[in-house]
Amino acid sequence: MELLEYQAKALFADVGIPILPSQRIYQPRDIKQLQVPYPVVLKSQVRAGGRAKAGGIRFVENTIDAIAATQTILTLAIGGEYPQLVLAEARYDTDQELFLAIVLDYHRQHPILLGSSRGGIEVDLALEDIKTVVIEQEFSPFHARRLAIQMGLTGPNIQAVSSIVERMYHLFASKDLDSIEINPLGINRNGEVMALDGKITLSETALSRHPQLQTLSDLPLEGFYAATPMLPTLPRWEQPQGAIAALSRIVLLSPNPGVAALIWDSLTKTKARPQYCALIDPQGDIVQQMTVQLTACFEQSGLKAVVIHLCPKAEIATPMIAALTQSYPGLPKPPEIPPRSPRRRSSSPPAQSLQPAVVVYVPGQLSNEASQALGALPLQCVTTLADLLTLLTLNL
Amino acid sequence: MMFKMINNRKILLQGIHEPLAQSMIAPMCGYGTAIVAGVSVGHGGTTVAEIPVFDLVEQAIAAVGQIDTSVVCVPPDQVADAALEAIAAGIRQLVLIPHHVPPLDTLTLINRAKATGTVILGAGSAGLIVPDQFLLGSLDPQCYSAGPVGMIDRTNRIGDAIAWELTQAGIGQSVAVHLGTGTILGTTFPDWLSLLAHNEDTKAVVLLEQHLLGNKAAATVIPPDFPKPIFAYVAGQHLPFQAPISDASTSIAVQKVHPLPHTSTAAEKVAAYKAAKIRVATSPKQLTDWLQEVL
Repeated sequence: MELLEYQAKALFADVGIPILPSQRIYQPRDIKQLQVPYPVVLKSQVRAGGRAKAGGIRFVENTIDAIAATQTILTLAIGGEYPQLVLAEARYDTDQELFLAIVLDYHRQHPILLGSSRGGIEVDLALEDIKTVVIEQEFSPFHARRLAIQMGLTGPNIQAVSSIVERMYHLFASKDLDSIEINPLGINRNGEVMALDGKITLSETALSRHPQLQTLSDLPLEGFYAATPMLPTLPRWEQPQGAIAALSRIVLLSPNPGVAALIWDSLTKTKARPQYCALIDPQGDIVQQMTVQLTACFEQSGLKAVVIHLCPKAEIATPMIAALTQSYPGLPKPPEIPPRSPRRRSSSPPAQSLQPAVVVYVPGQLSNEASQALGALPLQCVTTLADLLTLLTLNL
Repeated sequence: MMFKMINNRKILLQGIHEPLAQSMIAPMCGYGTAIVAGVSVGHGGTTVAEIPVFDLVEQAIAAVGQIDTSVVCVPPDQVADAALEAIAAGIRQLVLIPHHVPPLDTLTLINRAKATGTVILGAGSAGLIVPDQFLLGSLDPQCYSAGPVGMIDRTNRIGDAIAWELTQAGIGQSVAVHLGTGTILGTTFPDWLSLLAHNEDTKAVVLLEQHLLGNKAAATVIPPDFPKPIFAYVAGQHLPFQAPISDASTSIAVQKVHPLPHTSTAAEKVAAYKAAKIRVATSPKQLTDWLQEVL
């Protein structure tokens, strides 16, 4: 979850990282109550990068210009995102602009300090100038000084910048941040440093123990969660439009993304390619999720089969079977799939409808009650992937 | 050190009142694993399924004697604290069951474990099993049978299903371990490979990986002189999304470091196996065929 600039700066202020006087502007008329003396900078509060280039940052000298600029910024979407507010901030004349960041590197499995003496918008152009210090054990201020010196800083600037890095690290560790960035850190001609822009990404896993972070935002927290690129966060996988051939009219339902991927891969190599896979969250209401998915399948015309991965663990199997049982009454029975595979238990009565066949893959053994409940339903049950493939490819 | 985790007998369950722990008690006890004590703050002096419960790990040890392994089931943001408590009380083997442990907590814990010689499995681990002998965690024991194949699983636990497929084909397992779904893990492939290399019951090894799980391909860390045949399976090679989803506004630092968890794709993993000359099965069936050839 990434914070907006003004939220990041509130945290900076808490640990003594210098920030400029500023004020939040929610609508153009708020400008009349502006306490920050002109000239001011008006900054769109969006998470997208490249705000300056997109016109989301404007310099103004007086109230009339400020109202007009606020109006413009509030109605300007950057990267598809409209700002809810504008940050009005004093101007700061810099001699030098630096880039500083601390990031948890998941590949190296250590926090890493980053710094460049070419900060601001230049940092994009000067990747090779970004220096790094890996924090392998406990952080100590010497790590920050090492970074400052690698960045080419000299004299009093070393201490001034390393003390900012120390405070950034304090925030990083105490608030469970995924990353913290100041870009630029301005240095004026008196050698005073100022955080002119900042980015903070919170670790979603630790939010529960940081009540301050939960209330920091005056916007609802929901919807701020960035999708982590992990399978479970994607509740549904779909074949690209072009790939849905007439043959791939199969839907896959599974409570386990790993096994779902295993089945998906196996089916993809055959003509029985699944059209989509819906993941059932085993922590949630399994009956409700299954019922929704099954209803959607039964209502879809032309669907040939629904493949259900039934995890044999009772706490998952029982509600899944309950949902199947509930979804069947009143529905026409699926067509029989002629028995071809010797190891398969067939329990399907004959039927003449065009409803999709339901095939249940159980990698394991069910309890007696579960087997009986399943046996009473007009569906096919297989216990190995090979049988599942045989059944689907021979009969569909 | 590592050998003990598959041979030990005295188990502590931290967070014994948590739902995660509750669902594990019956299967573990049913498999003959001795849960000698539980810890649950405020419930000291009570029992759960005849297991004595204590407020502190050190109280449990004082009452039941030295513990071999603690299985940690407390809520994710308390996992590091519970684990540090166990380490401070002298326990040197930990299984962390919860998913979504804050990454900086895991790093602190790993540093502490290194300093004390503690072995950590997880976070987000479903545990490990030595079929017919010993079960730790929430693996489904009915899927497993005793035999010569060692299994290391770094997926959303497809291990149960794969073990079941092997078992159906008459191939049993020596040890099966689920490394965890966490972003940062206590022990990983090389640790468990060295255990399997020395384990006399293990004649061949199966590595299980998954698309967009973990930040490294296992094959890049396998010792080149590993003495037993290794086969791999990578789930999710044909999923309709290939690259990790990255946040458009992610900072410039991305180009210099790896700030996202779980970025290693199935294609990268398969390529790494190819480079390491390890065969990657395209299906559980092929895996069983190959295993039958070498066993």
